[in-house]
Amino acid sequence: MSEKGNADSEAPPVVLVANRGEIAVRIIAAARRIGASPVLAASAADADSPAARLADRVIVIGPAPVAQSYLRPELIATAALQAGASVVHPGYGFLSEQPELAELLEIEKIAFAGPRPETLRAVGDKSSARKVALAAGVPVAPAVEVDDVETVAGLGDSIGYPLLIKAVFGGGGRGIRLVNDAGELARLAPQAAAEALAAFGNGALYLERFYPAARHVEVQVFGDGEGRAQIFGDRDCSVQRRHQKLIEECPAPGLSVATRAVMHDASRALVQALAYRGAGTVEFLVDTQSEAVVFLEVNARIQVEHPVTEEAYGIDLVAAQLRLALGWDPELPDVPPVPSATVIELRINAEDPENDFRPSPGTISRVRWPGGPGIRVDTQLEDGYRFPPFYDSLMAKLIVRAHSRDAAVAAARSAAATVEINGVTTTLALHEFVLSHPDFIRGGVTTSWFGPTWEHRSEQRMASVR
Amino acid sequence: MTDDATPSWQHLLDLVAQLDSGSYDSASVTYGDVSVQLSRSGPLSAPVPSSASTTPATTSPKPSGTIIASPMIGVFYRCPSPGAPPFVEIGASVEPDTTIGIVEVMKMMNPVSAGVNGTLTSFLVRDHEQVEYGQALAVVAEASSQ
Repeated sequence: MSEKGNADSEAPPVVLVANRGEIAVRIIAAARRIGASPVLAASAADADSPAARLADRVIVIGPAPVAQSYLRPELIATAALQAGASVVHPGYGFLSEQPELAELLEIEKIAFAGPRPETLRAVGDKSSARKVALAAGVPVAPAVEVDDVETVAGLGDSIGYPLLIKAVFGGGGRGIRLVNDAGELARLAPQAAAEALAAFGNGALYLERFYPAARHVEVQVFGDGEGRAQIFGDRDCSVQRRHQKLIEECPAPGLSVATRAVMHDASRALVQALAYRGAGTVEFLVDTQSEAVVFLEVNARIQVEHPVTEEAYGIDLVAAQLRLALGWDPELPDVPPVPSATVIELRINAEDPENDFRPSPGTISRVRWPGGPGIRVDTQLEDGYRFPPFYDSLMAKLIVRAHSRDAAVAAARSAAATVEINGVTTTLALHEFVLSHPDFIRGGVTTSWFGPTWEHRSEQRMASVR
Repeated sequence: MTDDATPSWQHLLDLVAQLDSGSYDSASVTYGDVSVQLSRSGPLSAPVPSSASTTPATTSPKPSGTIIASPMIGVFYRCPSPGAPPFVEIGASVEPDTTIGIVEVMKMMNPVSAGVNGTLTSFLVRDHEQVEYGQALAVVAEASSQ
């Protein structure tokens, strides 16, 4: 690891923030917290963003399109050199899980706030991640790789229906298809291969058993890079639309002690087997019918929903990532598997939930957030901010902590109701709906709950207007 | 787009990226009931880098003329190789495809062209200086404006 961070006790180490939006603001805050100097690598569209103004310096790496800026490892590495950075924090998305950036930085002796490049490769494609998981004794779903899309029917029978067609190199829920019988499989597999080739540059597919009524539960891990693993509880992220998470909470409600132990133990084994370095997440499906737990994937980065864990345990995961990358003690305590508080995060996106979640970029004329006990807002919004059309639709995360789940749901509902965002349409309406819904209040909805439930509401509203 | 469903963010991002690489002055695209409008007036404004540590480059009083902006972040070189004469001298006439220097990014050499006809009147950065995307590198007095 680089010793640059401590080499000169006069000058604070420089942290290059290689991301944008709310997570850039978040990383800058963590850099300040550890006494480092944050420098932002920004596209021309973000050169005057709120994150840019919070940083000590901004380095413009390219034009607005991500393919010419945030997705170019050599531009980020050049910016890190220009900044005199001791460490680069990639945030989530963009280059966070690309071994190329981590390798370029290794050559330049600049630390990367993430796992080693070989770890990124080991968990980066799903079939290799699955092999790693199997070797570590982590429970996985029945699955098989596709050799030839023209003769998949037999493979489908060996897994059983329903099943999912997934791209080996896919991510973010893209390119996943649900198949109910052999006929559908034969028809959809070639399409899926073509789509995967176009989207991910590789058409390799695998088939995986589908659990129609499952929850998405994930475990927050932190490794010291030498085989020591710390577990920071779990999160339920089952409120999703088209595989995009909308609401997350810590801890996952209503899990039996045994189910939780399976996930935590498996995650610990995986971190130890990989000698995993830094923050990561191990994602699982929990079948609500059988309570079976199956491994989904490893997210080798800080995640969007990391604040629920931070608030539940009173820790700073991003600061810990930076400290570890600088060769310092990450200063993370050992914590119990279940925190004493419940934390809920609402993702507020620039989308119109009443119109099929249509994108809604534009200028934020005025924005006001709630305050009070247990309320945290991670955002880049400010009055007059022009929400750019070039990037993703996440505007803010409203994070609410309370002593019990019931209290957290009520507090989140009340906090959401007082949020004021003028100028663009947001997904706030869906949060008010979900937080008032008896199924969500009871806890433990499945990943296929939100879609049809929201559609049903929309139909009822249409009917009542007539 | 292939279907008339509401476009996703990804669709929009792809579209905007596509349009952005074109040299339009304004563009308006409608599909479904979503419309996207883009416009660009005048040359790309060069973001001002906050280079506190480096000494100011060639001090020139308000350059009048066309700015040549850096196409990349990297290191600017006036010469094709160490010891070789510069690509262009100050006062030389340039054409749109005249190379005025190179920007090196991680050992990749990216030639910078003048982009216009005219006379190169000054450099705004020194040889071997670190530059950012969009930073003003040089000024050309355009032939038509003389």
